[in-house]
Amino acid sequence: MVQGVILGVLTAGVYALMASGQTLIFGIMRVVNMAQGAMVILGAYLSYQLFTSFGVDPFLAIPATTAVMFTVGVAVQLIFLRPLHQDDRTQLSVLVTFAVALLLEGVMSVLWSTSDRSINTGYVNASWTVLGYQISLVRLWAFLLSLVALGLLHVLLRRTRFGRAVRASVQNPESARLLGVDADRIAAIGFGLGAATAAAAGSVYGLLYPFNSGSHYDLISQLLSIVVLGGLGSIGGAVVGSLVISVSTAVVASAFSPIWAPMTFFVVLLSVLLIRPRGLFGTAARGAL
Amino acid sequence: MRMRRGVGPVRAAVFFLVLAVAPTFGLAHWLLTMLVFTLMFAVMASAWNLLGGFTGYPSLGHVAFFGIGAYAVVLWFQHHDISSGYEPFLLLPAIGLGVALVGLPIAAIAMRTRADVFAIVTITLLFVGQTLAFNLRDITGGAQGASIVPAPFPADSYEIPFYDALVVLLAVSMGLTWATMRSKVGLSLAAVRMDEDKAAGIGVRVQTVKLLAFCVSVGLTAMIGGIWAYYEGFIYPQFAFDPLISVAMVLMTFLGGRATLWGPVLGAFILELAQQYFAYSLGGSRFYLIAYALVFLVVILVMPRGILPSVRDRLWRRGRRRIVDAQLPAGDGPL
Amino acid sequence: MTPLLEVDGVSRSFGSVPALVNASLTVERNSITALIGPNGSGKTTLFNVITGNLRADTGRVRFDGHDVTTARPAALYRRGLSRTYQQARVFSQLTVEENLVVAGGFGLAQLFGRRVNRRDRQRATELIDEFRLGRVADLPAAELSYGQRKLLEFAAVLMSSPTLILLDEPTAGVNPVLIETMEHHIRRLHAAGITFLIVEHDMNVVMRLCDPVVVLDQGREIFTGPPDAVREHPAVLDAYLGA
Repeated sequence: MVQGVILGVLTAGVYALMASGQTLIFGIMRVVNMAQGAMVILGAYLSYQLFTSFGVDPFLAIPATTAVMFTVGVAVQLIFLRPLHQDDRTQLSVLVTFAVALLLEGVMSVLWSTSDRSINTGYVNASWTVLGYQISLVRLWAFLLSLVALGLLHVLLRRTRFGRAVRASVQNPESARLLGVDADRIAAIGFGLGAATAAAAGSVYGLLYPFNSGSHYDLISQLLSIVVLGGLGSIGGAVVGSLVISVSTAVVASAFSPIWAPMTFFVVLLSVLLIRPRGLFGTAARGAL
Repeated sequence: MRMRRGVGPVRAAVFFLVLAVAPTFGLAHWLLTMLVFTLMFAVMASAWNLLGGFTGYPSLGHVAFFGIGAYAVVLWFQHHDISSGYEPFLLLPAIGLGVALVGLPIAAIAMRTRADVFAIVTITLLFVGQTLAFNLRDITGGAQGASIVPAPFPADSYEIPFYDALVVLLAVSMGLTWATMRSKVGLSLAAVRMDEDKAAGIGVRVQTVKLLAFCVSVGLTAMIGGIWAYYEGFIYPQFAFDPLISVAMVLMTFLGGRATLWGPVLGAFILELAQQYFAYSLGGSRFYLIAYALVFLVVILVMPRGILPSVRDRLWRRGRRRIVDAQLPAGDGPL
Repeated sequence: MTPLLEVDGVSRSFGSVPALVNASLTVERNSITALIGPNGSGKTTLFNVITGNLRADTGRVRFDGHDVTTARPAALYRRGLSRTYQQARVFSQLTVEENLVVAGGFGLAQLFGRRVNRRDRQRATELIDEFRLGRVADLPAAELSYGQRKLLEFAAVLMSSPTLILLDEPTAGVNPVLIETMEHHIRRLHAAGITFLIVEHDMNVVMRLCDPVVVLDQGREIFTGPPDAVREHPAVLDAYLGA
């Protein structure tokens, strides 16, 4: 049980990082990015490639993979999302990003085939034993790295001019426009940032789990549940949502059976929506980051 | 619209007459197989349209209900005999009804919020269904798959009963679509799609019509799942819950035209035939996925409203210049 | 006889920003009550609270003697309270006639009946005549001018024979001829027994049409009285001139 909670909390860090990118994208553009999972997996493949070809440690590869994925994110926004007609943007953007996810899946399966890959560094199986409980070193590092990345994101949004512009356009796009905020630029950079967090999380994900080009379905449904749970557009909510979901999943898996673990988050998701249709931290129409 | 009354029923009669007599011309097996799959998708796209097209709530997890229908048939006939071969078809209405009831509470919760949250809940549902199918080995056989007694139909006309059942289901789903468009339900659904809050504020029975659309839609989808399982004879979780089936329903509806009677059917005929062609010419499924995604993106970016509405719009603008008062609404007239 | 609508001490904040602070308001039966105030004074928020689009943090709303503080918009509509929106929310892809019909009755039998049944069509045709929308009756609402859309939204709420209509800036952004048309319809319906609560910026319209006038400032009601007293009242002048 306690072991389950520890595992859950450590895993939650990585999920929080992936979900924060997702929720950032939603906050800025009201777009549910169905491709976030595929972007994480692409990040994982990139660091897998860097590791197997050049021996670069996945943690050290993060600056490179984030830079690449930032570009991918900006491109997706500019090519596929910006031209969408305003009328039914919500519906169309869900479908467009879903198509992007399929496109990435197709490309990845061509480049790396569809068999499982994993990144086997020397330290994957190392662990500490604290008070009789095992703590996997990789998971601990992953957790810390996620905290650092989330911290950076927080500073970026709170302390910089760009961050102010983003928060202004999340709260009130009309007045942000009047104040000279370039919505297209904010959207492009925002999508880029979302993709970049996916890349950082992807490097870590690749260390923790085996993955293949189809893994993104599994991932996206969990990510989306987290984001809905926390309230779309709220980064704090994403962190809490990850904790709720990964701890409850891990506890159910260790206390009952791993079979019912995926069922857990669906039930949690539905019950939260039943009580609070806008998620735990969601606000009425426009949120605050 | 009023001026062209009578064209619709004639068109439908011709279409179904052609479908009904087509197999009597001794079509080759591969052609019949292709038609069987095309009809499956035509029904499913038509069913998806009832929900996604008319209400604007994009379900990405419809295949979850397809999978449930498929396993329902398999499970039932593990314990019951098949003698004439038609028993699974007779079971279909019960499956449709059962799945519609199962879907009701899920829809009631998922549709309380907004279209984007709905999309998320449905895709989560798909994943949960898939995982359960893999893990509940005692019931589904897990990754080893599950089989059903083969249909005792003669080899040279094996496809015909499936084909006929699908034509009937297509008639049912198009009939329901037509009835929706002609009734106030259709008008209410259109209002929900355009401005749900406003609609609720002027007394539209928002919740009733949304749930109704959802239940009918997933019920029909589950029935196709049942036919598919019986036709295949052996099913695996990854195919019964294949996300690409969900994508196909959406894409076909978008391609042909949302919230139209013929759009999803047209979309299914174009895409399913194209898909067979791609599968032949591109070989393995890997490039095929890329091609599929690209078609999807191009359709949404270039023709977001779909073929039929775009064509009708053009005709309407031309007609309007000639006859001032023969105006057709650009919205939802049955086409 | 109780007033038709009573708002009693309603407060509502968005985050830490108070939009309504202990606001009260009474609408007498068969009056045309104006609700005015500077931008951001909480008029639209008050509208949303009354119609159930927003929940009040504290306070009560009574309509026709019933407590409707927590009622949903649909329930209020069935009780006879309808509203229009500042931006004229009509269903852009439905025709003018369909826009009217969709606001008609919604018994289950009707729901599964024809898209446009005889009774609805008859009522819609009457309204189309009254509001002079005949030339555009079969056009999708997207093709209408802004002013026509305002008329259409107004006409649509009449499909259900309401007792109280809330109009949110009925004359904002429309041409002078249409302003007169709007006033004409409001007077006509008022004479037929319908009560109005109107948010309006154009003081000339308010002076001609409304009595009493309620002034809202910073989420509080600061004045209620006849229109000719409004202009002289010091608190109102302060609120508008920002003294």
